[in-house]
Amino acid sequence: MKKRFSWQNLYLIFVFALLYVPIFYLIFYSFNRGGTMTHFTGFTWQHYTELFSDSRMIEIVVDTLLIALLSSLLATIIGTLGALQIYSVKRPVVKNAILSLNNILMVSPDVIIGASFLIFFTFLGFKLGFGSVLLSHIAFSIPIVVLMVLPKLNEMNLSLIDAATDLGATNFQVFSRVILPYIAPGVFAGYFMAFTYSLDDFAVTFFVTGNGFETLSVEIYARARQGISLEINALSALMFVFSLLLVVGYYFLNQYNSSKRTRKRQRLEATQIK
Amino acid sequence: MANTIISFEAVDKRYGDTIALNDINFELEQGKFYTLLGPSGCGKTTILRILAGFTSATSGEIKFKGQKINNLPANKRKVNTVFQDYALFPHLNVFDNVAFGLSLRKVPKAEIRRRVLEALRLVQLTGYDDREIAELSGGQQQRVAIARAIVNEPEVLLLDEPLSALDAKLRTAMQVELRQLQRRLGITFLFVTHDQGEALAMSDEIFVMNNGKILQQGNPVDIYDEPINHFVADFIGESNIVKGKMVKDYLVSFVGKQFECADAGMRPNEPVEIVLRPEDLVLTDVTKGKLTVTVDTQVFRGNIYEIMSHDSANNQWLIHAVHKATIGQKVGISFGPEDVHVMRFGESEEEFDARLETYEGEEE
Repeated sequence: MKKRFSWQNLYLIFVFALLYVPIFYLIFYSFNRGGTMTHFTGFTWQHYTELFSDSRMIEIVVDTLLIALLSSLLATIIGTLGALQIYSVKRPVVKNAILSLNNILMVSPDVIIGASFLIFFTFLGFKLGFGSVLLSHIAFSIPIVVLMVLPKLNEMNLSLIDAATDLGATNFQVFSRVILPYIAPGVFAGYFMAFTYSLDDFAVTFFVTGNGFETLSVEIYARARQGISLEINALSALMFVFSLLLVVGYYFLNQYNSSKRTRKRQRLEATQIK
Repeated sequence: MANTIISFEAVDKRYGDTIALNDINFELEQGKFYTLLGPSGCGKTTILRILAGFTSATSGEIKFKGQKINNLPANKRKVNTVFQDYALFPHLNVFDNVAFGLSLRKVPKAEIRRRVLEALRLVQLTGYDDREIAELSGGQQQRVAIARAIVNEPEVLLLDEPLSALDAKLRTAMQVELRQLQRRLGITFLFVTHDQGEALAMSDEIFVMNNGKILQQGNPVDIYDEPINHFVADFIGESNIVKGKMVKDYLVSFVGKQFECADAGMRPNEPVEIVLRPEDLVLTDVTKGKLTVTVDTQVFRGNIYEIMSHDSANNQWLIHAVHKATIGQKVGISFGPEDVHVMRFGESEEEFDARLETYEGEEE
């Protein structure tokens, strides 16, 4: 049984290696004393200390995180309300039309969205900077949230709403006590998706940053064009670790939520047996 | 009626061109167990939804204790519903599900606790208060749904086919429990079902419905013994229905013979339909029987033999017999005059009641 050689596993390992080797290569050289990415001459934290003393970089990281947190939060609120609205549309034709409009935003190239935002903002005379980046990030995150929340709404049993009303709930109480807890997993997933989209967006941001305001991806692009600096490697390594922690954190949050109740139950039963 | 709690007056419901309910009139009295019985799509659930306030009537009046409630929103009505699929909140445990209605009304915590535990005790789920819904069996979820409804002390409890998802044995047990619960609480139950056995077993009063109309209303015995038309006779229990002719009062002819019967008040020689219940037919010798039939098939049902047979005119006869017969053999069937039930074509319930009074009055 055990020694069965599997081409499937080999293939899987190959694919993952292909995906991860460049990242590990990058991280590996972030510890290189040599200052290039060709010869590893010795271990150093130098690039990391440089990074942490680079106040401009720190400022950009903070801005990027702020944009990501704010835009995903607002996009989640707007997107969830939008999903509720789409859900309440009765006529299938209208519903599909709205959904298609939502999906077009998902599939259309970022460059086009970015360019159109640029034209839009300049047309309105809106100053490019933090505000324009935040608005465009909110805009492209909303469809993602809608797509994550809508399936949850669709799988919800309609009689739950009838039942809540029957028991005396007002429309708002139906929403806050029944619908929201039910779709919460979808809302959280939408928030995390929107957060990561905002964090790593380059194309749209590149168009609407203007002068004096940068996000991380735009800054890395600019620096990479100027030539190799292992500070970028160090930054990439930190970002990789950060996203790894995000994913792990999300996983454990999910695990915790789903098993909290069963564990509580088991504890209870254990004490009853004693 | 002094203690009428709910009344429907000329209620219609249309969805576009389709008529879901057609001129529904009825009254529910306090503390009784009512059943709306009919095949699926007959409008019985629509009545329930109109009463609960989930949908509105196209025309007509719905009254609660004499007050018109057509425009009262569902969350303000003093009725609670037990749903067909239970509709328990999956993110709440048993206690919080039952407490849902009370906590919305800002009832003090201690009182919520007392009432929820009392409701759980009534549905025999003591000790289940901190279970999750997903951990419960179908029957237990059913009871939680009932507890969640009765904890609000509604004056009318609406039950939408609540037993249809349970297995046969559990369903019978729940029928008895529901009936006992209704007696203990003393509130009005309006129960919707397509299962005639369930309706007969539980109800004080049954409304038989078809195609958006109430065909007949009455206690289970009346409905079973005196079905008003072919549909009711066929739907409630099993029956042998043959065409016949009313020769004169108390004498009817069918399958080429004349028989005594207990019905009167019809035109001479009026064409009618005759209902004979299979359990009223008694197997006997060919010479003693009023009818002679040939046995076709026989199925043992545990308590009875279900015998299919045909007479010389090829009418099918279903007989429930205690003793078995031999397939292919000719047997006689006997029945009393009161077992012959005569139905007129197109007679409404009022006409039927009026006719019954004319000749039953004479006898007394």
